[in-house]
Amino acid sequence: MKEKTRIHPTIYDLKSALANGKLSRREFLRYATLLGMSAAAASQMIGLTWPQKLWAATPKRGGVLKISQQVQKIDHPARYSWLMPSNTMRMVFEYMTLTDRDNITHPYLCEKWSASDDLKTWTFNVRKGIKFNNGDTFTADDCIFTITEWLNKDVKSSLLGLVGSYLEPTGIEKVNDYQFKLNLKRPEIAIPEHFFQYTAQVVNHRTFEGDMKKKPHGTGPYLLDTYNEGEIAIVKARKDYWQKGGDGKPLPYMDEIRFIDMGGELAPQIAALKSGEIDLIDASDNPGPQVMMAVKKDAHINVMPVATATTRVMRMRVDMKPWSDNNVRMALKLCQNREKILALAYQGEGLEGQDFHVYPKHPEYCEMPVPAYAPDKAKALLAKAGYPKGIDVNLAVGSEWTDIVRYAEVLKQDALPAGIRINIQTMPTSQYWEKWTEVDLGVTPWTHRPLGTMVPNLAYIADDQGKPVPWNESRWVDKEFTTLLDEASGTLDVDKRRKIFCKLQKIQSERGSIGIAYWMNTWMCANKRLKNVDSHPNLIFLFNEAWLEG
Amino acid sequence: MAKFIVRRIILLVLTMVLVSMAVFLITEASPGNVARNVLGAFVTPEQEASFLAQMGLDKPVWQRYLHWFIGSDWQARNKVGMPLRRIVTEKDFVEWWALRDDDKLVRWKLAGDDLIVMVRNPDGTVVREKDNDRWVTDDRGVSTFWGLDNENHAVMWEKGSDRKVWTFIMGSGWKESSGGPVEYIPLKKGFIRGDPGVSLRTGRPVSKSIFVRLRNSLVLAGIAFVIVMPLALFLGLLAGLKEGSLRDRALSVGGMTFSVIPEFATGIFLILIVAVWWDLVPGATVFGEKAPWERLDMLILPVLTLTLIELGYVLRITRASMVEVMRSPYIRTAYLKGLPYWRIVFKHAIRNALMAPITVIMLHVNWLMGGIVIVEVVFGYPGLGKYLLDSALNKDINALEAGAMILVIVAVGTQLVADIIYTFLNPRIRYN
Repeated sequence: MKEKTRIHPTIYDLKSALANGKLSRREFLRYATLLGMSAAAASQMIGLTWPQKLWAATPKRGGVLKISQQVQKIDHPARYSWLMPSNTMRMVFEYMTLTDRDNITHPYLCEKWSASDDLKTWTFNVRKGIKFNNGDTFTADDCIFTITEWLNKDVKSSLLGLVGSYLEPTGIEKVNDYQFKLNLKRPEIAIPEHFFQYTAQVVNHRTFEGDMKKKPHGTGPYLLDTYNEGEIAIVKARKDYWQKGGDGKPLPYMDEIRFIDMGGELAPQIAALKSGEIDLIDASDNPGPQVMMAVKKDAHINVMPVATATTRVMRMRVDMKPWSDNNVRMALKLCQNREKILALAYQGEGLEGQDFHVYPKHPEYCEMPVPAYAPDKAKALLAKAGYPKGIDVNLAVGSEWTDIVRYAEVLKQDALPAGIRINIQTMPTSQYWEKWTEVDLGVTPWTHRPLGTMVPNLAYIADDQGKPVPWNESRWVDKEFTTLLDEASGTLDVDKRRKIFCKLQKIQSERGSIGIAYWMNTWMCANKRLKNVDSHPNLIFLFNEAWLEG
Repeated sequence: MAKFIVRRIILLVLTMVLVSMAVFLITEASPGNVARNVLGAFVTPEQEASFLAQMGLDKPVWQRYLHWFIGSDWQARNKVGMPLRRIVTEKDFVEWWALRDDDKLVRWKLAGDDLIVMVRNPDGTVVREKDNDRWVTDDRGVSTFWGLDNENHAVMWEKGSDRKVWTFIMGSGWKESSGGPVEYIPLKKGFIRGDPGVSLRTGRPVSKSIFVRLRNSLVLAGIAFVIVMPLALFLGLLAGLKEGSLRDRALSVGGMTFSVIPEFATGIFLILIVAVWWDLVPGATVFGEKAPWERLDMLILPVLTLTLIELGYVLRITRASMVEVMRSPYIRTAYLKGLPYWRIVFKHAIRNALMAPITVIMLHVNWLMGGIVIVEVVFGYPGLGKYLLDSALNKDINALEAGAMILVIVAVGTQLVADIIYTFLNPRIRYN
C-alpha cells in the first residue's frame, strides 16, 4: 500500500492464470482493471494492444441530438429510482469509475486505485485538473462528500444498502486533496463497480443542497439548461470540459442534447424515430425487443445488440405448499423447454438459462450443460412428492411483459404431459409489483448486474437474524450456498472463484427455488447519424465522444 | 338571463366540489400504490414509507382532501409558530420560508444533533447558523422542533427519544438510530386559493404543466372542431334535404364507416399509410418546448383522425334532425305558400334543424378536451387527456384533481354556451 504505483500482487496470479489458459483475456482485463490497473496498462501486460478507437470519418462538431425519454422527477442523484433520469444527468454529472459494455471498469474521475492484499483498504487517486461547471476545482472532498451522502440514512439512497454494508462513514479517510482511502468492515472487490452504479454521480460538496436541479454543478461535458418534468430537458455543451476530443479541443462534439417526453407509449416514439424526428429512444427502464423489431429493417437506423444478464425468474415460494417440496420444484423446472421458450417468448434473441442466477458472460460462470426438457422425469418426481395424479398450480404474471406471458403459455403447454396443470393468472404489471414477493408462483423480471455475486447476495440469502432478505422473493435460504457465496464474494482469483461458483450453481440448480429459462439481449436503436456510440447492458448513455453527422 | 347565469355558476361550483370529492374517493379506492408507481418496484420499504410521509400520503383521507382544497399552511403555521411565506425564486422555483421576528426568511436542517437555521438574505444568498435553542424538551427528555425544511415541508424533528428510528440496510439488516424527521406536512395553499399543488409523479407544480397541456389540447381540439363541425353540419343538412337520395345514402354510409372504426385503428392505419408508406407527413408529434402551431405538419394526422371519427357522428345527427324538420307540417305549409326553395331551407328549416346538433356539438367540445386521450396516446401528443391518463395510472391525485376541475368547467361552460345559443335559434326559449 505504500507505493502508489505498485501493481496488486493478484494481477500476477491473474497473468499466470491467463498463461495457463485458465482465464480468458477478457477476464484478465476485467480483474486487472478492477484492481486498479488502467485498461491500457493491463492490455500491454498481456501483449495486447489496447484497441484504439477507429472512426470511419473524423468526428464533426455541432448538432442537436434528440432523445425521447420520460423526463422524471429528480432531486438527489443518490435517490434515482429509475435509470432514465440518470441518463439525462449523466451528461452533467460524472462518476468516479466507468464500467463499459464488457463489464470492464475503467478510471474516470478517479484516475487510479489500489487495494490492500486483504481487500479491506482501498486507496483512490482523484484526477487533477478537473473543474465543476461553476468553476470550483474538483477534489477528493467532493468524492468523500458524495460517498457520505450515500451513507446518510436521511438521504435514503439505495446505495446505503449496497455500500453501507461494508463501509461506515468513519471508514472514509482523506489522505490529501487528491487521494482518499476507504477502510472497509469486510473485504469487497466490487467497489469500483459500485462507484459506477447509476445513483453514484459525484456532486459538488460546496454547493450541493439536496436538489441537483437548483444547482446543477457537475463535472460533466454538458450544462443543464432546462428541466421541465413531464415535458423536456435540455443540456448544452460546456466549453471547458476536461476530456479532449480527437481534434485536441475539449469534448463534447455535440452542441446540445434534448430529452423530449413523449409519454410511455412506444408506438409514437417508434414512429418519431423512423421519421427522424428523434434520434434515439431511451429504453433503459423498458428494455425489450419491441423497438428493435419495429426498426430493424429501417435503412437509416442502427440496431446495436448486447447480451445482458437481464432475465425472467420463475420463482417458487419454498415456505408455501407445494413448493416446499424440492421434488415439485424440480418437476416444474424440468418442464421448461428452454430452446422453445427462448424462440417463442423472445424471438431467440438471448442465451438459454440453467436455473441458477449466473449468466454465461459473468466472469465467474462455470460451464454447465443446459438442462433438457424431461416431462417423464418430472412426472416421476411429482409422484414421489405425493402427487401421482398431477397437480394444479396458479402462475402469476404481469400482462405488460409480453415475453413473460408467452413464456408462461409455453410452460403451461409443456408442463401438461408431466401432470402439472398451470392456471395462468395475468394481472397488470403494477399489480404484480404490489405482490411480487408474496405470490407462491410467479415470474419476476430481474435486471442486469455485472458481477455473478451481486444478485445472489440480494435474492438468495438471509439477514443476520436468519430472516430472508427483503428481495428474497422465494424465501430460499441454504446454509451451504450462503457459506460458499460469502467465500466467493471475498475471493479474487478467478479460477478459485469459478470453482466455488461450480458448486454454487450446482446447489441452486439442484435444490434452488428458481427456474431461469433465458437471458435477454438488449438493443440500442439510434439514427445512423449518431456516431461513435455503442449499446451498454443497462442501456445507459455514454455519449462523451458521440458526434452527429450531417 | 343574469339570474340564469348566476344559477349556473353556483351549479358549477357545486359540481366541482362534488366531482373533486368523487375523484378523491375513487383514487383512494383504486388499487395501486403511489410510491411504487413513482419509485419503481424495487423501492425499499423504508424509501416507500419516507416517500409517503413526505408527500403527506400517510395522513387520513379527509385531512388530505382538506389540505388539497384549502391548503396546509394554516395548520403548519400553528405548529411552527411563525408566519409562512411562499416565494418564487429567480430561477422559478417555488419555496416556502418562515418569517422570523426580525423579518428574515428562515428554514432549518438537522446536522447530526445540531439544528441549523438557514437565513435567506434579500439577494437570495443563505447564511447558516446553529439554532439549538429552539428545541423543546419535554419531561421525558425528548427534544422536538417544528420547522420548515428545504423541500417545502413543515417537519417535526426529534432527538434523544427512546423511540428509535429503524433503518433497513441491505446486506446487513436493520440498524437503529435515534432522532431525525418524524412527521411531515407538505406545504400548499390549496385549490381554492389558486394552488393545485405539486404533481406526485413529476414533482413539478401542477399549474406549470397543466395549462401547457390544456393549451395543446385546445389547439388540437380547436383545429379539429373548426374543420369538422361546419363540414359535418353542411354535409348533414345537404344529406337531410332529400331523404333517401343517392347523395343522402353516400354521405350517411361514408360518414358512418369512419365513425365506427375506433380512433386507435384509424390513427394507426393513417400513420402506416401516410407517414410510413408514403412518407408525406410525420407519424408522431414531437414538439419539445415548441408550441404545436409551430409544427403544423405534425398536426395533420391527429386532426385527420379526429375529423374522420367526428364527422360521421355529427353528420348523421344533423341529417336526422333535418329530415324530421323537412317532413314537418310548417315546411309543407311554406311550400304550399309558394315560398322559394332556398328561402324555406334557410329561413325555416335550418334554424330548427340545428337544435339537436348544437347540443351534440357542445357535448363534443367536452369530449374533445378530455376524450381525445386515445388520439393523443397514439400520436404521442402532449395534451390534457394524456396528462390525465398518466396521472390516473400513477394515482397522482393533485394532477388528477386539477385536470378534473378543468373538465368540469369546460363541461358546465359549454352547456351554458349551448343554452344561450338555443335562445337565438328558438325564440320560444326564455330563461327567466
